[in-house]
Order: sequence, then structure tokens, then C-alpha cells
Amino acid sequence: MKYENPTIRDRLAAEYVLGTMTWRARRRLEAQLKTSPALRAAVSQWEALLSPMASAAAPLTPPRRVWQKIQQRIHGDAKARARTGWWYSLGFWRTATGFALAAVVALGLVVTIPDRLPTAEKTMMVVVMDDMQTKSPAMTVSWEPGGSSSKMLRLRVIGHAEMAPDTAWELWMLPGENRPPVSLGLITTHELQTLQVPAQLVPTIDDAWGLGMTVEPAGGSPSGSPTDQMLYMGQCVKT
Amino acid sequence: MTAPTNDQLANLLSRCALADQRAFAALYEASSAKLFAVAVRITRRRDWAEEVLQESFVKIWHHAGNYDADKSAPMTWMTAIVRNRALDWLRRPREVQTSEDVEAFMASVPDEGPGPEELATLAVQARELWQCMEQLGPDQQRSITLAFFHGLSHGELAKKLDKPLGTVKTWVRRGLERLKQCLEGMKAK
Repeated sequence: MKYENPTIRDRLAAEYVLGTMTWRARRRLEAQLKTSPALRAAVSQWEALLSPMASAAAPLTPPRRVWQKIQQRIHGDAKARARTGWWYSLGFWRTATGFALAAVVALGLVVTIPDRLPTAEKTMMVVVMDDMQTKSPAMTVSWEPGGSSSKMLRLRVIGHAEMAPDTAWELWMLPGENRPPVSLGLITTHELQTLQVPAQLVPTIDDAWGLGMTVEPAGGSPSGSPTDQMLYMGQCVKT
Repeated sequence: MTAPTNDQLANLLSRCALADQRAFAALYEASSAKLFAVAVRITRRRDWAEEVLQESFVKIWHHAGNYDADKSAPMTWMTAIVRNRALDWLRRPREVQTSEDVEAFMASVPDEGPGPEELATLAVQARELWQCMEQLGPDQQRSITLAFFHGLSHGELAKKLDKPLGTVKTWVRRGLERLKQCLEGMKAK
């Protein structure tokens, strides 16, 4: 591996921090960061070397709405966490025959206990994605339908998933009616994460049939279409 | 307003790791203007910079526990998060990117890095860095400042400077090597 050569490793770390790499090269390097302490050290060193230069910018106060959105995101995440933990503890999932049915049942309960869940009256899109091999829930994705500008998906990976070296997880919108999957971007194995919906998919994602995830080469599918079968898949449910 | 010290910021980060909302608000108050400037500089669009800042602070909140005061200064750690988000935002694969989009983007890139007034505001640490930058050849210096301040990729640099990709890559690589040698030399003194 080229990352084992200290000279090349240092050069790649420098270019990563300087910011001249392509998106794909950045993803490849970040995949290596997870497993290579030497590369992490090289990146930290370059960050320390170059970061004083970043202070050569006159401070600029961001608009108030940024802070409000950050607060919403953080509180939203906390609620999503509480809610998912509660669903999961109900133990529906492993015995339920259909995940869509299970989702409806669970969400039906949510609606009947509004006191515990102040956001329950808000309409949400929810996808419970099953691992196609084990047929058990592997990931949940939710977002607020409507709105025309930007849209964030909240993702929760259930259990401790691991990503093989030199691979990437890619999330797909499955439009339905035999139309091909469209990439929503790469995701990580982190338990809680958010993903910005690409602008051109914001108008259509609320009407998608479902979502899927495939394992792709590092950097994502080179062709823009899935290179393998869906590993996780689930249908969108409007609650 | 006096700039918060590293210790103050590190303390706020450690309280964020314990889910202290007030500490997070104070951290935002103390650092968001600097970090927003970094994001605007790279994305060159206020709306994008707002998204980048928002995502960065959500990440800072969730990952505050990973911050290690022995390894990096708090602003270095937070700046790296913002810079990485901003660069990913710029480089993200977009299905619809016309040649006009690319032209408009390139036209919005200033010709140089920061001017003398901005450099005058630099901390001592940054002045050392700047002294080393000045020892680079003009082409190396220009490529590195354009890349660092405005988030240009190798390909965009080649376009901006109207030079072959290989030439620009060499300038960047040699420039970075010399910069590191110079800085390490200063530290050793």
C-alpha cells in the first residue's frame, strides 16, 4: 500500500489538509485514516502546521438562523435517539414478519402516547431498512417531508456494523415503478449520522418507494449505479 | 472582546462532551465568527457556508468527546472540521454541473490569498508560517495560498493558473515540502 511509504504518506496527508484532492481521493484517504495511526498523525501534524493560516480571515458573524438550526438538529437527534431506543426495546423487530407493518404498529403506539413524544404530531417519513440476508432491521432513516430547499436525513445504524477495508456504503433512493436507484451519497457505520439530500433529489424523495444501501468500492460506485445487490432495503412510510 | 484562550475553549469542549448545552452555546459564541469566515472563504457562497457551519457544529457537539487537548489546539481541531466539511461540500459529486457552473465558480475565485491587512491580524504562530511562505517561489506560494484559502483542487488550480496539471501538482508538492522544512527549522531554533 502506498500509505506505508512515509514520504508518500506525508505528501498525501499534506494534500488532504491543503484541500487539493478530489472528492474521491479524500474518501480513499479517510478510509485509510480509520486504520492507520501513522496517517492520522501525519494529518494532525499538517493541520497544526497550516491551521494558523486559517486565522487570516476577518471574523464574520453568522446569521442567527444558523444557531437555531443547530439547536433544532441537536434536539431533534436527542429525540430520535430516545424514540429509536424505545422502539427497539419493544422487541417487535425480530419477530415481526414485515418491517413496514412493524413500523406502522410502532408508530401507531407513538401517536397514542403524545406526552412522551412531543414531536409525534409532526409528520415524518420513516424507513426501516432490513438486512436482506438476516431479515432483521439494520438501519432507520427519517426526515421531515415537504419543504423545497434543503433536506436532511437522519440515519441510525442498528448494532455495530463494520465496513470492510476499501469499501464504502452508498445510500440509494429507490424511486419505484422500475425506475433505477439514484445515489443519495456515501454514509458511515456511525450509529447516528445525518445526510444532506442532494439538491436535485429534494423534490422527489418524499415520493420514493424506499431506500437501499449497497457496499461499493471506496469512493462510491464509479458508474453512478449500484454495482451490487441492495444489502439493506426498506420501504418509505409516512407517519 | 478578547479572544478566548485555548484553555477556555478546551474547557468548553470537555463540557460539551458531557452534553452541557450552555457550554456549547458559549463555544459557538466564542468561535463561530472565525469559523464562519473560514467556511465563506472556501465555499464563496453564504448559503453554502451556513450549511457547512451548521453541519460542523453538529459534528463538534457529537464528537466533542474525541477532542484531545494533548494532540491539538481547540481552534485547530474545530477549524479542521469546518475546512473538511467545506471541502467536501465543494467537491461533492453533483449530477447536474454544467460547464457554466464551472465557469461561474472559477470566476468567483480571487487571484490571490489574503491581503496585507488580513495578514496583519495573524497570530505569532501564523507569522512564522507566513515567513516560511515568503521563502517559497512565487508559483509555489500562489498555488498553496489559492488552494488553502479558496479550496481549489489540483485541477482547478491548473485552470486558474493556466498551467498543465503536472506542473501545478509539482509546485504544490515542492512548496509543501519546503514549507515543512522551514517551519521545523524555526521550531528547532
